[in-house]
Amino acid sequence: MSIQKAEAEIARLAGSGMAIAMVHQGAQPYALVRNIASPVPPWGSAIHDILIAIPNAYDLGTALDAFYLALPYSFSGGTHNRVSGQAVTIEGRNWQLVSWHYPDGKTFRLGTDNIESHVVHCRGFFLERGAQNART
Amino acid sequence: MPELDLRMSDADWRRLRTHCAPAFRGLRDTELGAIGLIAKRQVNGTLRELVVTKMLWPEVGDVISHPYMALTFSSRYMRRAHLLMREEKLAGVITFHTHPFSDTEVDFSEYDDAEDPLLAANLVDLHPSTWLSSVVLGRQSQKGRVWLSPTGAAPLNNLISIGNHIDILPLDGNGDRPRPEIAEIFDRGRALTGTGALAKLAGSTVVVVGASGTGCLICELLARAGCRRILLIDYDIVKIANLNRILYATREDAEKRRYKAHVIKRGIEALGLGCEVVPIIGSVIDRAVLARLNEADVIFGCVDKDLPRMILCQYSYQHLVPYLDVGAEIGGDDEGIVSTDARTSYVAPSRWCLRCTGLVTARRLRFESLAETERQREIALGYSNDLLLKQPAVMDLNMRAASSGMMILRHLLQPFLLEPLPVTLAENLVTYNMKPVEVARAKDAACDICQANPHAGHADCGPPLGFDTEVANALIDRD
Repeated sequence: MSIQKAEAEIARLAGSGMAIAMVHQGAQPYALVRNIASPVPPWGSAIHDILIAIPNAYDLGTALDAFYLALPYSFSGGTHNRVSGQAVTIEGRNWQLVSWHYPDGKTFRLGTDNIESHVVHCRGFFLERGAQNART
Repeated sequence: MPELDLRMSDADWRRLRTHCAPAFRGLRDTELGAIGLIAKRQVNGTLRELVVTKMLWPEVGDVISHPYMALTFSSRYMRRAHLLMREEKLAGVITFHTHPFSDTEVDFSEYDDAEDPLLAANLVDLHPSTWLSSVVLGRQSQKGRVWLSPTGAAPLNNLISIGNHIDILPLDGNGDRPRPEIAEIFDRGRALTGTGALAKLAGSTVVVVGASGTGCLICELLARAGCRRILLIDYDIVKIANLNRILYATREDAEKRRYKAHVIKRGIEALGLGCEVVPIIGSVIDRAVLARLNEADVIFGCVDKDLPRMILCQYSYQHLVPYLDVGAEIGGDDEGIVSTDARTSYVAPSRWCLRCTGLVTARRLRFESLAETERQREIALGYSNDLLLKQPAVMDLNMRAASSGMMILRHLLQPFLLEPLPVTLAENLVTYNMKPVEVARAKDAACDICQANPHAGHADCGPPLGFDTEVANALIDRD
C-alpha cells in the first residue's frame, strides 16, 4: 500500500497534539480527526469528528477531497444541505459524506497541500464558508 | 548460473565514458576510474541483473593513479561507497577502471585478478552480504564480472544503458559482436531496424500492459518487427463490445468469456513468426503481478487508467526499465470534437514521469485509488462524474497510437528520429497536426517519482511496489 507518507503525516500531526488517527475499513484507509471546533449556534454541538478517505496511492501524488461527518449532528436545528451523501458505518459509528469542494475553483495543490491543509479546508465547513454554503 | 546483465542509466554511462576518456587520449599512460553502487533484479528468486543505482564520482585523492601503474581506489573512497551501500540497503559496490592501451579488446590484468578477490573478501568481512562487481574499460570495449562471494567471480554478459536510447553493449571484453543474420521474414524491415537493433529486439522481453484496442496492436507490431517474447498482462475477458478493436477476438471468444490475453496469444503465435506470448491474467497494481515485470527489457503501457500508469512509472525509475505509454484521447466541448489525439509518452531515467507531463492528474489518481465501495459513494454524490467518461475505443485511432509507440521503440534501439525525443509525441487528427510536446507542463523539479526519487535504480533492493492482492482487488474497476 502506498500510504507510508500519509501514515507519517498523521503520526507527526498526532505528535503535535492534533486528535487524529489512521483507521481502516477493508482496503480503504481513513484519517479520523476528532474535536473539530464549530460555533454553537448554528451547529448543535461545539465539536465534531470527521473522516477523510486516504487514497491508497497517496504516496504517488494524489489529491484529497471531501470528508465524512460523524452522525448525529444538527445545523440550525435541522440538517445542512451539503451533508447529502450516503450514510455509512465505519469504526462502529455512523457517518455521512459531505460535498465540500475547495473554494473558488482552487484545487488540492500537489507538493504544497497535505493532510494537515486538507483538515484546515474541512474546518472551513464548520465556519463562515460552510454557513454561507448552507444558504446556497 | 544464468547470464547476468548490468543495467545503468545512459546519463551515468555517458558521464563515466567522458570521465574516463582522457585515459584513451593524452593521458594514455594513466588509468582512470570511479565507484558506483549496485542493486539486484531477480526473477523468481534467481538473480538476473545488477543495476547501477548511482555513481559516486571521485573527489580529489579518491583515485590513486600513477603512470604505468595500476589504479587503486583510496580506502576512504571505498569506505564511503560501502557505508552508503549499507545505509541504502543495496547489494554491493561496482568499480570501473580503464586499461588505456586496450582498444577493441580488453581484459582484467593479473593485478586485477589478484586484488579483486582480496577487496571482495575485505568488503564481506565488513558486511557479509556485500557483492563486488568490477568492469574494466577499453577504448571501445568493456569486460565485467561480479564476486557474489570472495571465492569466485561470475562473468557479466551485457551492459544495458537506458535513457535517450536503449544500448546493449557486450561485457565480454570485445567490441561489437558479429551481427546475426536477419531472417527472411524481417528483411524488409532492415532499413529501419538494422541487424543490430533487430538482434536487440529479438533478445528482449517486452511487457505489454493492457490487451485491449491498443495493446493487441502493439503485440502485433512487436511480433512483426522481430520480437520473440512478449509478456501480456490483462485481467479482462473479451466482450461483444470489444470486437470492434481487439485483433483475433471472435464472437465465440466473447460468448465463451475467454481472456483477452489468451485470445491475443492464440492469434500472434499462429502467425508463425517465432514470437511467444506469455499471458498473465491480473493487474499491474497487484504486487504479485508487478513482480513479473522483472523479466522486462521494455514496457509498453496500453491502459486508460492513471493508477497503473503511475505504478509503471514508479517501476520504470526504480528498475531503470524504459516505459512507453501509448494511448488515444478525444477532447471535446459543447460544439463537438476538438481533438483526437494518438499519443506516445516515453518514460525513462533523466526524463519526466507521467505526473510531470500532466497526463496523470492528482484528482483522477485519487479517485482510482479509493476502494470500490468508497468510489461508488462519491459517484452517487455526483462528485466525480467527469472522471467516469470512457476514452474512445476505435481501432483506427488505436492504430495511430500503436504505430507511433512502435516507431519510437525502433528509434530507441537504432536512432533515426530528431533528438532529444519529446516528452510526448501527440498526433491530433482533427487538425492534421503531429505535435512534439517538448515541455512537461506539470513538471516538478522535486518530483519524488522522476526527478528526486530516493529509490531510483534500487530495483529489488528498494521498497515493494504495487499493492497487496487484497487491496488491488478492491481497487480494480471491473467494468
